[in-house]
Amino acid sequence: MLPYKMWEIVERANSGPFCEDDEFTYEIFMPKMQEVIKKYDIVYDSDMPVPADDDLADRVWQAAVEFFLEVGVLNVDTHRRILVDASELQEALYHTPGRYIVGAGKDARLWKSRVPEADAPPFCIFSPDITCDEEIFLPMSIAYIQEPLADGVCAPILEESMGLKIKSGAPTEMAGVVEHAMGLRQAVRLAGKPGMFLVAVGTAQSDTGQVAVSNDEWGVRYTDGRLIGALTELKIDNKLLNKVVHCMQFGCFIGCLSGSIYGGYAGRAEGTAILETAYHLAGLTIYQANFQQSFPFHLHFTSNSGREMLWLVSVTQQAVSRNSDILSTSNGFLNAGSGTEMVLWEAAAHGLASTVSGGHLWEAAVAHNKYRNYATPLEARLACEVGHAAAQQGMSREQANDITLKMLEKYEDRIADAPKGKPFQECYDVRVSRPMSWYLDMFNKVKDEIATMGVAFPY
Amino acid sequence: MNLFEQMAEATIKGDKEQCAALARVALDEGVDPVQAIQEGYTKGMHVVGDRFAVLECFLAEVMLSANAVSAAMEVLRPSLLERPGHGSQGTIILGTIQGDVHEIGKNIVKIMLQADGFTVHDLGYDVPVRRFVEQAEELGADIIGASSLLTTTMTYQPDLINLLGELGLRDKYRVMIGGAPVTAEWAAEIGADGYGENATKAVEVARSLMQEKRGGEVS
Repeated sequence: MLPYKMWEIVERANSGPFCEDDEFTYEIFMPKMQEVIKKYDIVYDSDMPVPADDDLADRVWQAAVEFFLEVGVLNVDTHRRILVDASELQEALYHTPGRYIVGAGKDARLWKSRVPEADAPPFCIFSPDITCDEEIFLPMSIAYIQEPLADGVCAPILEESMGLKIKSGAPTEMAGVVEHAMGLRQAVRLAGKPGMFLVAVGTAQSDTGQVAVSNDEWGVRYTDGRLIGALTELKIDNKLLNKVVHCMQFGCFIGCLSGSIYGGYAGRAEGTAILETAYHLAGLTIYQANFQQSFPFHLHFTSNSGREMLWLVSVTQQAVSRNSDILSTSNGFLNAGSGTEMVLWEAAAHGLASTVSGGHLWEAAVAHNKYRNYATPLEARLACEVGHAAAQQGMSREQANDITLKMLEKYEDRIADAPKGKPFQECYDVRVSRPMSWYLDMFNKVKDEIATMGVAFPY
Repeated sequence: MNLFEQMAEATIKGDKEQCAALARVALDEGVDPVQAIQEGYTKGMHVVGDRFAVLECFLAEVMLSANAVSAAMEVLRPSLLERPGHGSQGTIILGTIQGDVHEIGKNIVKIMLQADGFTVHDLGYDVPVRRFVEQAEELGADIIGASSLLTTTMTYQPDLINLLGELGLRDKYRVMIGGAPVTAEWAAEIGADGYGENATKAVEVARSLMQEKRGGEVS
């Protein structure tokens, strides 16, 4: 939304219709969701994890628009619903630039909106999405930063600072976020990409923590990005709005972070796809976001590489990319851990489904996003190589669907009992931030098999 | 189908009216209300819980079933209040811990615990550690349940256990924890009494903790 609207949103957070938390969820959100699913005839097809149905995508968009305009976003601190009307949404969509130059100097990147089956490659953000031991923060960050396909990086999150457990809102967080920010700035310089687009700082959960790292010299710059999340579902609070106001005025790029829960208040794949699409609208209008960081996930598995999840990821990205210029990164959440063939297949499937559906990529959380140190850049590399290949060869959604079905055969019956894999330190030589040869061999083996399925890797 | 089976069936279907009607039948026929809950409604909720655990049914259906059980409980409540402990499985204080605003998991656990016959007091989210203890004392809780979705807030879970120790209350309450970054290993490391991997397991853990607290007697 346009900058002048920020004051209106802040004002509406205090003056919108009064609503209690439970009333919002159980009497407004859930009934309206059931209504729009039925009205727009949104139906999940298990044979089509990557549907090639423009009408379906457009109906999901229309359902999301109607849903969002009527339900709004609840500020849980003021108990007020923040509502926008149709003309305001249309205005915001019209003014969405659909392109930004992010990062700085030689490392700056042009990030442009895509559409389904676009031959322009996806913008790729490499991120472990997990915490790490303090002593491996630098080598792990460097490992991600030096990836050739990385247009941007989000570093691992610190759990400790100077050996003290970081607690949200406590002095340890204030110390930890500065350590994170400065460490990341050092990592990009050491890796030869000092102007790289960074989305930071994951260690900063609180609003004060985020403000503390805004510094063009040693911290998060105005050429970098920040993520501002939502409360489940379609709720916000004043601390999140604090982050919005601060980021607007500091000048960095805002990413609205949305993770609709499959199996939660929105129900099944259909409702979760509509909700995740609606979050893009909330991001645009209420979060003043420049991009959306989209990670719908399964309630029990905390993943989105299963069949129904790939469908909802694909449908969401198609709905958004066909009907707007909103930049959206599709964040892979995978079941298996690093150092397993399964995680590589999952990464490939997520990267493929997201790219041909018009999305950009944010890869990848692994091992149900549950275990410290568990993630390596190789999972992200494969997802993004598949994405780049699919785009450049002009792959259709039909072709992608066939390939995705073959990929699913490799892992979907093991989702409930996925192998945990190994931590970063056992997959990578930490001294030099490079993958161990055994994992690289595994990577190449899976990549070669993917190539036989019809993915034309450029190298 | 006997009366208990009908109660379970009505619960599974989320039929509020039928659940209440069967509760009235139970009272009219002199059936022990606690037995009606345990043999009828709770068994139905276990089926719902098992289905929810594999997402054969979804949250909306779970809530319908839970609401149906609540309707039955309202009918049975006057009889339950006459019994020692009011026929409750136990009293639980639940909340998302300090600094954390995520609560869907905790809310699902609350629904399942209530349907299982526990008295649940939900403190909401971003609950200061001290408040868990104060409310447990005020409300006569048996179990304190603290949920966390972030690694930077799960670090408050040991603070809760430590505070109970500092106040000489550690043995008075059982502490169970849960949440996405929480593991059984973490629970063991910080001295928690139980860990709920998901809502269904949380109910099992709560029952087990109550059994242990009562010295092996099941209410």
